[in-house]
Amino acid sequence: MTELQLTDAGPGTPAPLLSIDDLHVDIASRDRTVHALDGVSLDLVPGEALGIVGESGCGKTMTALSVLGLLPPGGTVTGGRILFDGQDLAAASAPTLQDVRGNTVGMVFQDPLTSLNPTMTIGAQVAEPLLLHRAGIGRKEAWARAEEMLRLVGMPQPAERMKNYPHQLSGGMRQRVAIAMALVCEPKLLIADEPTTALDVTTQHQILELIDNLRQTLGMAMILVTHDLGVIANRVDRVAVMYAGKVAEQSDVRGLFARPRHRYTEALFAALPERAADRGTELHTIPGLPPSLTVRPTGCRFAPRCSFATQECREREPELELSVEPSVEPEWGLVGAAPAAAGQDAEAAKASPPSGHRFACFHPVPYGDAPAEQVVTPPPATATEPGEVLLELDALVKEFPLSGGPFARRRGTVSAVGGVSLSVRRGETYGMVGESGCGKTTLGRIVAGLEEPTAGTVRFDGRDLSGLSRAERRAHRRRIQLMFQDSTAAMDPRMRVGEILREPLVIQGVGSRAERERLTAELLDAVGLPRGAVHRYPHEFSGGQRQRLGLARALTLAPDLVVADEPVSALDVSVQAQILNLMRELQRERGLTYLFISHDLAVIRHLADTVGVMYLGRLVESGPAEQVYAHPLHPYTRGLLDTVNVPDPAAASGGEREPLRGETPSAAQPPSGCRFRTRCPFAAEVCATTEPPVSTPNAAGHQVACHFPLAAPRLASAV
Amino acid sequence: MTGFLVKRFLQALVVLFLVSIIVFVLLHMLPGGPARAILGPKGTPQQIDQFNHQQGYDRSLPTQYFMYLKRLFTGDLGDSYKLNSPVFELLKQRLPKTLLLTVLSTALAVVIAVPLGLLQAVRRGKASDYALTGLAFLLYATPVFFLGLIMIILFAQVFPVFPAEAPQGESIGELLGDFTGLVLPVVTMAFGIVAMFSRYMRSAVLDNLTEEYVRTAMAKGQSSRRILVRHVLRNALIPLATLLGLYLPTLFSGALVVESMFNYPGMGLLFWNAAQGSDFPVLLGVTLVVGIATVLGSLLTDILYAVLDPRIRSVA
Repeated sequence: MTELQLTDAGPGTPAPLLSIDDLHVDIASRDRTVHALDGVSLDLVPGEALGIVGESGCGKTMTALSVLGLLPPGGTVTGGRILFDGQDLAAASAPTLQDVRGNTVGMVFQDPLTSLNPTMTIGAQVAEPLLLHRAGIGRKEAWARAEEMLRLVGMPQPAERMKNYPHQLSGGMRQRVAIAMALVCEPKLLIADEPTTALDVTTQHQILELIDNLRQTLGMAMILVTHDLGVIANRVDRVAVMYAGKVAEQSDVRGLFARPRHRYTEALFAALPERAADRGTELHTIPGLPPSLTVRPTGCRFAPRCSFATQECREREPELELSVEPSVEPEWGLVGAAPAAAGQDAEAAKASPPSGHRFACFHPVPYGDAPAEQVVTPPPATATEPGEVLLELDALVKEFPLSGGPFARRRGTVSAVGGVSLSVRRGETYGMVGESGCGKTTLGRIVAGLEEPTAGTVRFDGRDLSGLSRAERRAHRRRIQLMFQDSTAAMDPRMRVGEILREPLVIQGVGSRAERERLTAELLDAVGLPRGAVHRYPHEFSGGQRQRLGLARALTLAPDLVVADEPVSALDVSVQAQILNLMRELQRERGLTYLFISHDLAVIRHLADTVGVMYLGRLVESGPAEQVYAHPLHPYTRGLLDTVNVPDPAAASGGEREPLRGETPSAAQPPSGCRFRTRCPFAAEVCATTEPPVSTPNAAGHQVACHFPLAAPRLASAV
Repeated sequence: MTGFLVKRFLQALVVLFLVSIIVFVLLHMLPGGPARAILGPKGTPQQIDQFNHQQGYDRSLPTQYFMYLKRLFTGDLGDSYKLNSPVFELLKQRLPKTLLLTVLSTALAVVIAVPLGLLQAVRRGKASDYALTGLAFLLYATPVFFLGLIMIILFAQVFPVFPAEAPQGESIGELLGDFTGLVLPVVTMAFGIVAMFSRYMRSAVLDNLTEEYVRTAMAKGQSSRRILVRHVLRNALIPLATLLGLYLPTLFSGALVVESMFNYPGMGLLFWNAAQGSDFPVLLGVTLVVGIATVLGSLLTDILYAVLDPRIRSVA
């Protein structure tokens, strides 16, 4: 441990383990070359954790991949050096690289579902690096050490798992296997490329904790690449913010979050729903899109989107320079113990300017300004009056049969929705939150009429939908519309936008041709797209623009209710903010009601009036958003709130958080009684025998289904 | 695994039952019925009635089908009109020979096609890939009889290395004893298959090379060659297994041309001669065998799947 503690900057600065110097990477495809990295320089001392953060396409993953020479086809290092342990990996031969890969540098990738070989056993895959890099190690010994490694990454029953294949494990367990594979040779450096992005909140937390612990035990350095500011805030010592193939800002983590200097970093923070002053506030957005990088932009790359840009910014490129403020004591070598030390040092960090803080901006955020909050526009404060009940679900059940084919017997049922009752009022946003597999999407599909419930009723505007005739049902469809996570996949790629938007009108027989055209033009105006978009195809639009199209398509028939299923989950923070603002604005203008489904607690908190929390097919808690977030009554809700990565290094270290443990059980065999009991710290015998009744111990309207609801109101969470 | 195979085998039995019904229906769709087919246009109505009565063709269809099944189980497929021998005996004699030809040529094709496809995928876009791709298309587009003709001219006449006629032995052992005679028919048949299999192999390998598990293997420090052999090969063979199973019955009937060309005494030649002589019992017997081969082919695919892909094993 001792050698991991403090490493002094200054004359005694340890030699960097990894030193990336002026790295240039081009990605050539058939018709164009993208200058993915354009002069990236980063240093990493032994044992240090560096976070690389940025939006998609900024070059963070390319930086990580180029260290191991794993660039995608067409990718080449066109300039610069990557010094690792005295070797220039950028110029290294294939055998030299192979010797480093998996041996002194381990790598973990994003998607544990696809990054393991489906036809090889776990044991063979974990033992593989040992057999490659440890000369003379026998198969038997390699397997023994692989099993030991699996135990170390918290795999239950490692001996049996060795013989399993990847598909037999859950996503979280597979990522543990991937980590075991990367660490089995005890590397000096671990590169983790979005290691938790494909995972649920609770699994994400467990994996990040695991990486933290292993890093300390094995004393390795780490590069953590992520788009998630919450992840980066709590897990690294130093952060590099990348934009358009360059490092825009680099600092120790607390310094960056407390005092961002680059205008891009500032804007990125401001776009976070967590940073919005209150519900109902407009989120700060960054207009426009990042440059395409097929031609090198002149001047500052952020200038076209920056509200502080001047002529100088557009003509000259700012260099990454050390912050000129009087620096007190250099401390960027702080290593390893950052999360623990963060609590005590948080105040100090705010008081004294962080050192080793570099940024490339001509007009940085001045010192002394309160960051972030200032950028947020004041709330328009239009508390919508709660209207009459529009949608009412009563004991809704949906089960899917489990069978192996036409000749196979039915082997059971998956209980996707296990008796959910709720009501949504006209004009409000009902936020449904839960982890994957909790049934929130199925619930949304039932509400939209895409699935028939197995039992229970859906009442819309006072009418029971099961009683509708075929024609009535068709007519009713227009009143509830869906918005999807992936709008590209939800639109016919061979139809032009105009046709896509007109199609619902044609199906429902609304208006004449001219009227339909007028209506689609108005819709495009409303969602902020040019009218000329009607002649283009969906693939010609960016992710954010497609979500605008998705919203326009949902609104074509002027529905009362829009079911939005993870509409912003695939978007970058700045674009997410645009879409959330747009949804809010249209809600005000058109009196829309939203059923907003998401796994993201911060997004739900920002947008929703009422919140429902689902776990394994059950609604465990529901109520007004502020109340649910401030005084969660169900242990699951509280666990979720404690698990979330808050994008603030100072807040995260605040003691008594109790993150959720374990994994969600299978919906094919849900636990008896309370479905959460297997992971609940308060579970007693009654929880296994009796389904918990719904009660309102806190306030009317704040419902909880728990035998032992949390009594003591706790301090408002930082989310 | 065993449970999966048993289940799959039972399913195959159901399909075989359906195959028997189809062949039975075909029997009754013969122009003028089997009696007219046998007795020829000169048969009198009395003769036809008598024949139908003897053979049970005047009974109800279900009864006839039942009798047909019963005969099927005892191996009675009727007698050949021309060869003066029970169809079953003929098939028993000829089937192993066709099997030998099919198995040998398929095995040869796989042994050539798998490494060839790997090579093409690795050299994608290079001159060797284009050359091999061109050659594969040429072979694929060449009719088997033309290919056989070239083989005969080249290797039996210009350079007389191999005989142009296949061995005529009675048993498999005798055929194998005269191995040089087998070379040309086996190679001719294999060439057409190689072209197709290597194309499939190439694209399966290319698909797999872009998979993330390959990147993971690279990140472990595996060399490209070992990644191909240890990681990609098995995954890339999965689509090839489908092709093999589906292709088996085609191969079986593809033997027809090769057999008649090299005068190889297999089932294809039997079928060829029977077709020319309107020997319906023989034709129907061969049809039944090809039907069975189709079912067994897809059974083989599933078994290969289960061997190659652990995900399929656990679904079952």
